Amino acid sequence: MASIRKEVAAAFRSEGPLARHIAGFRARNAQLQLADSIAQAIDNQSVLVAEAGTGTGKTFAYLVPALLSGQKVLISTGTKNLQEQLFHRDLPTMTAALASPLQLALLKGRSNYLCLYRLEQHVAHVPVAEPQLMQDLSLINKWAAETQTGDIGELTYIAEDSKALPYVTSTTDNCLGKDCPVYENCHLLKARKKAQAADLVVVNHHLFFADLAIKDTGFGELLPQMDVFVFDEAHQLPDLACDYFGEHVSSRQLLELCRDLDLACKTDLRDHPQLRKITDKVAQQVKDWRLQFPVEPERGNWRERSQQPQMQSMMQRLTETMDLLYQVLKESLGRSEAADHCFERLAQNRSRLQKLNDTSKPDVSLWYDTSRMHLTLHLTPLSIAEKFREVVFAGQKSWIFTSATLSVDGGFVHYQQQMGLEQADSLLLDSPFDYQQQALLCVPRYLPEPHQHQAMQQALLQTAIPLIQANQGRCFMLFTSHRMLKWMADVLPEQIRQPVLVQGQTSKRVLLDKFVQLDDAVLLGTSSFWEGVDVRGDALSLVIIDKLPFASPDDPLLQARMEASSKQGGDPFAAVQLPQAVISLKQGVGRLIRDVTDRGVLVICDNRLVTRPYGDVFLKSLPPMQRTRDLTRTLQFIADKDAAKRSD
Amino acid sequence: MQVRFYQLAEDAKSPQPDIPAHWQLACQLCAEAYRQQQRVFILTANEQDALTLDEWLWQFEPERFIPHNLPGEGPARGAPVEISWQPPRQQRQLLINLSRDVPDFARRFAQIIEFVPADEQLKAEARTRYKHYRQLGITPEMMSTR
Repeated sequence: MASIRKEVAAAFRSEGPLARHIAGFRARNAQLQLADSIAQAIDNQSVLVAEAGTGTGKTFAYLVPALLSGQKVLISTGTKNLQEQLFHRDLPTMTAALASPLQLALLKGRSNYLCLYRLEQHVAHVPVAEPQLMQDLSLINKWAAETQTGDIGELTYIAEDSKALPYVTSTTDNCLGKDCPVYENCHLLKARKKAQAADLVVVNHHLFFADLAIKDTGFGELLPQMDVFVFDEAHQLPDLACDYFGEHVSSRQLLELCRDLDLACKTDLRDHPQLRKITDKVAQQVKDWRLQFPVEPERGNWRERSQQPQMQSMMQRLTETMDLLYQVLKESLGRSEAADHCFERLAQNRSRLQKLNDTSKPDVSLWYDTSRMHLTLHLTPLSIAEKFREVVFAGQKSWIFTSATLSVDGGFVHYQQQMGLEQADSLLLDSPFDYQQQALLCVPRYLPEPHQHQAMQQALLQTAIPLIQANQGRCFMLFTSHRMLKWMADVLPEQIRQPVLVQGQTSKRVLLDKFVQLDDAVLLGTSSFWEGVDVRGDALSLVIIDKLPFASPDDPLLQARMEASSKQGGDPFAAVQLPQAVISLKQGVGRLIRDVTDRGVLVICDNRLVTRPYGDVFLKSLPPMQRTRDLTRTLQFIADKDAAKRSD
Repeated sequence: MQVRFYQLAEDAKSPQPDIPAHWQLACQLCAEAYRQQQRVFILTANEQDALTLDEWLWQFEPERFIPHNLPGEGPARGAPVEISWQPPRQQRQLLINLSRDVPDFARRFAQIIEFVPADEQLKAEARTRYKHYRQLGITPEMMSTR
């Protein structure tokens, strides 16, 4: 096959198509290097792991070789938002510049597509008499007649969390598949067919893994056709993969199953009172099962919990009743479409429950979590390296994994081991930003130890106030715990005159818009805010982090991974906890400097960065900012940066 | 108890205006001791000196990172290196003395590192400290840095 490297390089040249078509475009060295390495990986059908620091321009660096490759390409990003941004903004720019004739497709997960069958059902019989719900349903019904794609994302005039959405979309559990009366018009099916016919498909990681782990059917034809796989935000893959290669069963699923079965008993199977009785019994036992756990939500080790005598007898009763239901329902097969469908779900849930009760299985973490109403059991593999390695190195394909945060301590060992990509090529590209000039990292002196919770609250507040005032807001305070976030949200507004926005008050997007608009606000958020936020310029120039983001030690999955690491003779702290915290902190730090003209201050209120021997691992992994421990110097940096800005 | 006096060359340069030449040597010796897993106590003449030294250590290249704390921060047993102008809170092997006098608690250390800077005033103070050790019945070792 002819090499695409020359063509790729030509596209980026100063008189090349990108420069001609995109205003202000100038290729950066790191960008060229990344594009060339990706072109090579595509030429050689090899695997590349590449970290490109913030500001490298990595999106263009992978889009150009992807579009010029002449092969079928799948691009996967972290979230739906990024997917849309890529498909509606970056890709059109790029195809126009390169005059690319390729067929492009955007494919999302099942829950993003209108289900015509369910819409019809629920418009006819509104499930709950709630005004908002009824209004949303009627709006959706109107839209349904016009939409080409059925993509729920088009419904911008309906709240993202509208209660109507679950009634007009399908799940693998309630999809009737080929038996559906409106199968031919199915939007999901059409989107999948379009994706299969396309030269380049944009998906997200959830969808990719759902397909790979065959958690959803009917889409399995897509992956085998692809030649080139590009993952952006690839640092998210290890945890997501563990999730998808795992199993879970929840009281919610079981109760929904019981409810659907009960409905069938009231209609098609009215003559079968025994079935209804057993169904009710399963539902009751599932509810009792939840009551075995405390009211307050918690999570923990199921391997241990399931050994308690009371829990054992509970599980035995539930298993027996489900077995009985299975036998009885089996005898009624073929009489009701709805009941037959329930039978399949029951069979699945039964086998999952069996797997989750098998505590002899090594190499997996068995854990549970509870919400106020429900309970979920999880089985998570401790490593997906072997499975994923098989997928990646199975055929003659090219795989690109890229992100701004993959390396720890200047290397990819941690990532490659997690993903089974030890044989991949790797590339580490520094950010083009001048962090020494643009950013200052401060770890204040005399902070209490992180576990001294109350003293730490006060210290954090007293540290934050003068900084926020000097910077006139424009600040993110990022927390590792909800508890600290809540406390700060209570006390901070009385202490400063700047407006305080708190995560959870409204959707993330609305909060961010407000933050930029206000221009002097302080936004308090937890880890979910750390990722994927892009506030350019002066609107965000101070980030205060309460603590190094080590995962909570009571996280059962973390515990299991650490156990596995020590069994293999490793140091679980160095092998598991530290790299995870480093990647997480890098994400948080990445929020601050998004452009060559940005200047900003990062304050990490955790003395462990200075006082513990592992501090160097963090420092080696973070961008090379100026460092200080002196708050006066930090205030001076803020004053200088604002003075410099005024004189611009 | 082993006491070593490191004599600085007349033309020894200070790495930056607020850091005297013998502090740089002190940090090199401190780094060596830390790599050998010794617990180090650096005594400064006053709080301001301690803060200056703390700031300077924190700005080292990550490859030369030295985990340290000031009095009143850090883990219960202290970081591998403590910088202080007050008596130590824990037992440590090595004292690096950047103060003007021999502290009362000097005897608690197995090893002490002292400096003879090029500056006349500081040199005179070092001579006094040398005599002080002799009075305690210790013969310090003289180390040349050339």
